[in-house]
Formats: sequence, structure tokens, C-alpha cells
Amino acid sequence: MNIILNPIRWMGILGLATIIGAASISAKEAPQFSALVKAGKLPPVNERLPEIPLMLPVVDEIGQYGGVLRRAFLGPGDHNNYTRVVYDALVRFAPDGSQVVPHIASGWESNANFTEWIVRLRPGAKWSDGQPFTADDIMFWYNDILLNKELMPGGANWMKNKDGSTARVEKLSDYMVKWSYKQPNTAFLLNLANMDGADKSISNLVFVPAHYLKQFHPKYASKANLKAKIKAAGFDTWTQLFAIEALPHLSGVRPGMAGWIPDGTTVSDRVFRIKRNPYFVGVDPAGNQLPYIDEVRFTFFADKESLNLAAVSGEIDFQGRHINMSTYPVLKENEGQNNYRVMTWPTFGGSDAVVMFNQTWQGPEGEFFRNKQFRIALSYAIDRDAIKELAFFGLGESRQGVPAPFHPYYPGDEYAFKYTQYDARKANKILDGIMPKKGSDGFRVMPNGKTLDIEIGVVPAFGAWTDIAQLIVENWAEIGVKAHVEVRERTVHFAMRPANELMAEVWNEDTTGFPFSGQPKFDPRSDPALTFAPLVAKWYATDGKQGVAPEPAIRRLVEIIDEAKTSSRNRQVALAKELFRIWADNVWEIGTVGLTPMIQGVLVANKKLRNIPEVAGNDWPLRTPGDTRLEQYFYAK
Amino acid sequence: MLQYIIKRLLILPFLLFIFSIIAFILIQAPPGDFLTSYMAELAASGSSIERAQIDALRALYGLDQPLYIQYFKWIGRLLTGDLGFSLDWQKPISELIGERLALTLALGVGTFIFTWLVAIPIGILSATRQYSFFDYFFTVFNYIGVATPTFMTALVLMWIAFKYYGVSVTGLFSPEYIDAVWSWDRTVDLLKHLWLPVVILGLDGTARLARVMRANLLDELKKPYMEMARAKGMSEWRLVMKYPVRLALNPLVSTIGWYLPLIFSGSVIVATVMNLPTIGPMLLRALISQDMYLAGTIILIYMILAIIGTLISDILLAWLDPRIRMEDN
Repeated sequence: MNIILNPIRWMGILGLATIIGAASISAKEAPQFSALVKAGKLPPVNERLPEIPLMLPVVDEIGQYGGVLRRAFLGPGDHNNYTRVVYDALVRFAPDGSQVVPHIASGWESNANFTEWIVRLRPGAKWSDGQPFTADDIMFWYNDILLNKELMPGGANWMKNKDGSTARVEKLSDYMVKWSYKQPNTAFLLNLANMDGADKSISNLVFVPAHYLKQFHPKYASKANLKAKIKAAGFDTWTQLFAIEALPHLSGVRPGMAGWIPDGTTVSDRVFRIKRNPYFVGVDPAGNQLPYIDEVRFTFFADKESLNLAAVSGEIDFQGRHINMSTYPVLKENEGQNNYRVMTWPTFGGSDAVVMFNQTWQGPEGEFFRNKQFRIALSYAIDRDAIKELAFFGLGESRQGVPAPFHPYYPGDEYAFKYTQYDARKANKILDGIMPKKGSDGFRVMPNGKTLDIEIGVVPAFGAWTDIAQLIVENWAEIGVKAHVEVRERTVHFAMRPANELMAEVWNEDTTGFPFSGQPKFDPRSDPALTFAPLVAKWYATDGKQGVAPEPAIRRLVEIIDEAKTSSRNRQVALAKELFRIWADNVWEIGTVGLTPMIQGVLVANKKLRNIPEVAGNDWPLRTPGDTRLEQYFYAK
Repeated sequence: MLQYIIKRLLILPFLLFIFSIIAFILIQAPPGDFLTSYMAELAASGSSIERAQIDALRALYGLDQPLYIQYFKWIGRLLTGDLGFSLDWQKPISELIGERLALTLALGVGTFIFTWLVAIPIGILSATRQYSFFDYFFTVFNYIGVATPTFMTALVLMWIAFKYYGVSVTGLFSPEYIDAVWSWDRTVDLLKHLWLPVVILGLDGTARLARVMRANLLDELKKPYMEMARAKGMSEWRLVMKYPVRLALNPLVSTIGWYLPLIFSGSVIVATVMNLPTIGPMLLRALISQDMYLAGTIILIYMILAIIGTLISDILLAWLDPRIRMEDN
């Protein structure tokens, strides 16, 4: 994650964009737009593009226009399927996730101590309905959405100063907007790259079409008009209506800046279509306006299994989301005859199945979970090769939950593979020193005379976690530690976490690429997070009045995260490495196998589809596959 | 009789009121609410939403209010003829379930007709040719039909269709007709897809119905009036069809009313597996995501159908069998 904070370095890239801008005098467009221009129904392409268009590099070659990209989605709850395809943000993560790059915005600069950030927009850029996109569209978001107490009573975390007040946003010119924080904010770009309407939440917006949304806002719309609109849509309050109309995929008609714009359908429809935006700001290196593909079509499936069957029979053109890793062999088997190929994008570091122990478990078992030697013994006892073969088809590697080796935060092999070699004898020896007494059934007994029995909570969410947990239970039985698996429905499991009702759980460690933003799993205060130390979370939330005080090592994690949020890049790297050294060394969370394509990383792609990178950063903050620039995908004729 | 029907109808609103409360409480019984399940769903698809955003949404949807206020909000809307608003789909419920109800009805009625057309002849033939090869064949066939869960049949047939014909037989429409307006072509397309789920769902019911028909008819065939009619020289075929079959059908006809709620609720798993745009999968999803307004409204519709179904059954029975009369007459 090499976030470039030095504005000088960006000059080079902006300069490149200027040259492309000059070349765009002869910009080319999709044939159906040429026809519309000829008929006088659409302005010529040069008038639709900004003065300095966004140049999106192509992966392999300059493409051709045309085609429909068929995808499948699971209904209104699957709105992020759309979000990940369009990745409609001012700035984006680069395809490998290593840095933030300009997108709708043309660039940015910050002052020396990172308290002020200026974001530059593209003069001449237009919304999909042809209206100009200016600083006013950001100011409307700031004044009328973020600061509106009815719409966002809690504000947004990324817009807050340390003292709880809201950061200031001002318009410097039609194409320049300045953010001012009271403290250094080095996570600004990371956050900006994720303000794309994700989670269908208005909290994740930063630029909106003011000219369209004013009709739904009581500050601008007449009371009678607004009331009629609320009633017609079946809502109770204007905020409910506004929350829908502010997002293209819920509204269906709200103008946007993305490569494709909904044609009136929404994620609540059985078929959700998004069509090429005639005003999209991006061009390819040859000056062709992007995107190449005419339309992305999401078809509703009620059930994940039937979606997978559709993928196997070649009815999906490009998708990793909802493709089960367990479908991988069947997909491979049918790859040739059904006109698709199977690709894999491994997870962005971490470990794809971990056992997290609750550090604040109040039962007699808690004493052992808090014993580092005990955790080390249990880590040695796990046969990770078996898990890799049985649950991950031999893909990935045995590792703890630390970043991927190519990542600047990687703490080194020594920590990535710490305690991961399978050694039951060593594990037994350590345990004999901690709890030598065994019952008649061969299982180790706690000082109170009862058998230690670890309950591992599992939600069948991404991978074959139930099977993995079962393998671990068998491994541990060999060293005399009794454990059992408890599979629960996900909402129940999620309610048990903050209530401190889970002893241990299996989940994945997927936040190693972004330890200082979002809800990292090593931060005991994160919510939602794993059942790391729920009572420590309470301790922090109540300023030490309730809950349990953290042990020094956990306290250090929190200090590192807080310091990194306001420190320079080099310091962040050093802090992150320290964080992951502590994390791997303490094995609060036992990692098993990582870098597998478990999460949306088994992809089917139409055989004719081109410009898909073979390697890509694959993570939610990167909005994969959005980070790979679907705008430059195309169908070979 | 008329008095009886009116009495039953008058009690209907009261029953619905009680049922609506029970339904609402049951739907709310699992821990958490729509937003906790929404948060869990997001986490399970790789993203995370902050607790503060969830709390803001909770206030936006009024889920922070006490249960009884949420109930009265919902029932108040229902009383004005407004089916309510789905939290999950962000759409008025009437808009969501309209076409789904129609398609569910088509599937249910299709299955019903298929079941009867197949089961009754089998039942008659099995009874009249008791212990023949034909009888044994269908007995085995029927037991397989009863014993195989319908979703299993669906999966096997889907696999065969994929393996040997390379098509996935999910859904009720071809891609180009999924959200098209109704037309003759769309109806034909629907029929092309409808037969498979009808057969799958029908196999289960066929087996039961054929067994009942066989047993009922066997009872009748042994009765003395059969001997009498044969003695008078009536042809065997006409005799069987005219008297015992009619009598054997009576108990079956009287239970037709029971099919009404079953038509809507009987196909949830098959519809989910086969990705059918019917009401069942929508209810299932509404329950999982704790979208209580949508789930509550669908369940209330089921209840109305169950009550009407029972009423129809009672009326049919009273009408068919003069021995059953209202006790207060």
C-alpha cells in the first residue's frame, strides 16, 4: 500500500493526462453515440468529455466497442455487486492496491503536515444527463447531506476532527475543493477512494448531482411537491426518499459519473441494467471514450447454488462474487466446452481461515486463552497441509494473519510462518507444562476438575470453515485438547460477539492491507470485528469505567493504530510492521492457510473477454474487480 | 347453510387480528432486527459498515421504536389497504408481490391439475387391477415419489439437463422475457419453463393422491351394490366410473380447499433451488433478513388463504355429504 503523499510525484501523472487531453481533440466514441450525434440528439464527443479527460491505461490492447457483460446478483441485499463493478469514486485504488490514483477527480495536493487537502476536479466534466459537474456538487453533499442532522445525525467518521467536530470543506473555485482537518489526516485519500455509495449508504458519498437532488431536499423543494413525491414512493419521511434518490442503483434515474448508468431499473428488479454513460470522463490511450462494453446486466438469482450452476453452464460473462470456491473443480471441468475460462485472484494477504480466541472470556477456559504458551501449542498442533489440500484444493500457503509478501507492511517470513509448522510433539510438551492432568478419556482437565472443552463458533460464510474447524478439532484431540464446533446462523453469531458470548470462532483475517482505516480486526475497538476481546472494546468505549483493561501487548496495538492515522508514510510502514510482528508473535488469532482465492477470487470470464489482468489486488476496500477498470474490458470479435 | 357461512365470515377479521399479532411477534422473535441481519450479511460478503451508520439507519426506518408501535404502524397501513413497505427491497410490497403471486398461482394451479390428471387414473387402475403388475409398478413408483424430497428431484433433473443438454433449467422465463411486459410470446415462454417445476412438484402430490384414491375405491368395490349392478348386466367400465369412483372422490373433493394455502406455501425449497420468481423464496429471504413488514404481509396473506380454504372445505363437505349438518340446526 504505497500511498503517495508527495504531491510533487503526482505532477508527472497529471502532465501525462494533459498530453492525452490534447490528443483528445480527435476523441472517438461508440458507434451508437455517433449515430445520436449525427441525429442531433447528443453533443459531439469532444464537448461531452472534460478538457482533460481521464486516461485509463489498458491491460493488453486497445479494445473494440460493443457487447453485454452478463453478471448475476442475489437481489436488493447484493447492491455492492454494482458498487464493485462501477467503482464510482473521485479517486480509486490502483489495480494492484498499492496506491491511490486520480479518477473522476484529476488530482490532489496536501500541505506539509497533512491537515489540508485540495481536490481538483476536471473542468468540462459532466453528469450522465449532460449537466456540468463542479465543486458545487461536493458542497451540496457537505452542506445539505453531511451537515444535515436529519439525514446524518451521527455525521461520518472520516470527516471528524479529533475533538468530535466536523472537518471544514470549502469551495476554492468551480474545480477546486479544500478539506481542512484540525489534525494531520493521512488516511484522507484511502477514505476518499471508498466514498462511492458503498453499502447503499449516503454516509459513503462525497459528490452528488445537486441539480437532481434538490427536488428531494426540503431546503430547496416546495413542501407540497416533496410531500407528493414521498407519498407516491410509499415512504413516511423525506429522509427515506432522499436516501434512495441519492444513489444511482436504488433510484434508477439519478444521474451519475460512472462508466455505466442505470437505465431506470434498480437492484430491486429481477434484471438490473446499467448502460454506457455518454459523458464518462475516461478515454483509452488511443483517445477512444470508455467504456468499451455497451451494457452490464445483473440477473437476479434467489439462491447462490443456482447462480453457481449458471456460471458452470456459461451464462455469466465475468464474475467472482458469489462463485463458491467449492465450485472450482466443476468450473475447471467444464471450462472448455462452455465458453469461459477460470481465473484466480488470491486474497489480499492475511489468512483465509483463522481461529480467534476471546481474550476476555469470563469462564474458567479464559485463563488458558490468555496464556500465550497455550495458544502457541494449539497453533503447532494444526496440520495446515491437510487443511490446504482438503479445504482449499491445494491453493494458497500456510501462514499467520499478516499482509502478503509483496505488501510494504509485510513483517517478514519469520513472522508470517511463525508457529505454523505441524509439530504435535512440541505442542504436547508445551501443554504438559501448563495443564498436565488428563481425564480418563485422555482429554486435559482444568484446575477446577472439569475437562477443558473449547467451543468453536462457525458461520458458514465464505469458505469450507465448518470442515476446517472439524479438522482442527481432530488435530487438537491428538494433543488432548477437547473442542467442538458450533455452527450458527450468521445474525445470531454476530449478536453473540459484542455480548462476549463466543469462546472462540473461525473467520478470516482480511484486513491486513488496511490496518489503519475501516474496521481492522487487530483493533480491539473495531465494530464489527472478530471476538478478539469484547470486554476490552467496552473498556475503551467507556473510558475505562466498564469492561476489562487490556494487557500491555493489546494496548500497544491500539497505540500503533492511533499514531499511524496521523503520521507520515515512512512512519506508517514502520508502525505497521511492528503491529504485525506483535500480532503474529502473540497468536491471539491462529492463522491456517492464506493467499487462496477464497473470497470472490475464483472467477469465470467469457473466453472472448479481454484486458482482464491475470493478477490483481483482491479486497473490499479496492472494490475488486472495480480496481481492475472494467471500463477497459472488451469483447474480441 | 347461508347463516353458517356468514357466521364463519364474520369471525374472520377477529381471527386475522389475532394471527397478525402472533405473526408479528414470531417474526421479531429471533435476536436482532433487520439491521443487525443486514450488517451480518454485509460482513459475510466482504464489506463492513460502521455501527454508527447502522444506528442512523435504525432511526431512519423507525426500528428504534418499541415493538407495539412498529406493529400498529404496519397494521394501520394494512387497514388503509396499503400493504406496507419492504425494508430490504426498498419498495412498496404491493409492487413486489403482484407478479409473484400470479406466477405462484400459475405454478400452483398447474401442479394441482397435473396431480389430479395423473393420480386419479392411476388410482382407479390400481384399485380395479389390484395386485397386478400395473398396481405393483405404480405402488413402487408412488413410494419413490413420496420418499424423494422434491428439491432432490429438482437438483437431479437440473443436473441431467445441464450434463446432457448443456442448459440450466432455472427460472420461469428466458433471459429476454424476464422483465418484459406481458405478451403472447412471454406466456408461451412461461409455459415452456413452467412444466418442469410442475412435474417435480406434482410427483410428490401424485403419489399421495393416487394411494388415497386406490384405498377409497377398494372400499367401494367390495360393497354389495356392485354385485347387484353386475347381476343386472351393467358393463364393468361404466359401473366403476358411475358409482364407486364418484363415491371414492368425495373425501378428496372435500379437501380441495386445503390446497389453497398449499399452492402458495408448498414450493418454497423447489422454487429457491430452481430460482423461480414465486412468492416462496421471497418469504424465505424476508424471514432470514428479518424484513418484518414484508414477511408479515406475506404470512398474513397465507393465513387469509388458509381460513378461506378451510371454509371452502367445510362448505364442500356439507354440500356433498348430507349426513354432515350444522349442530345447531
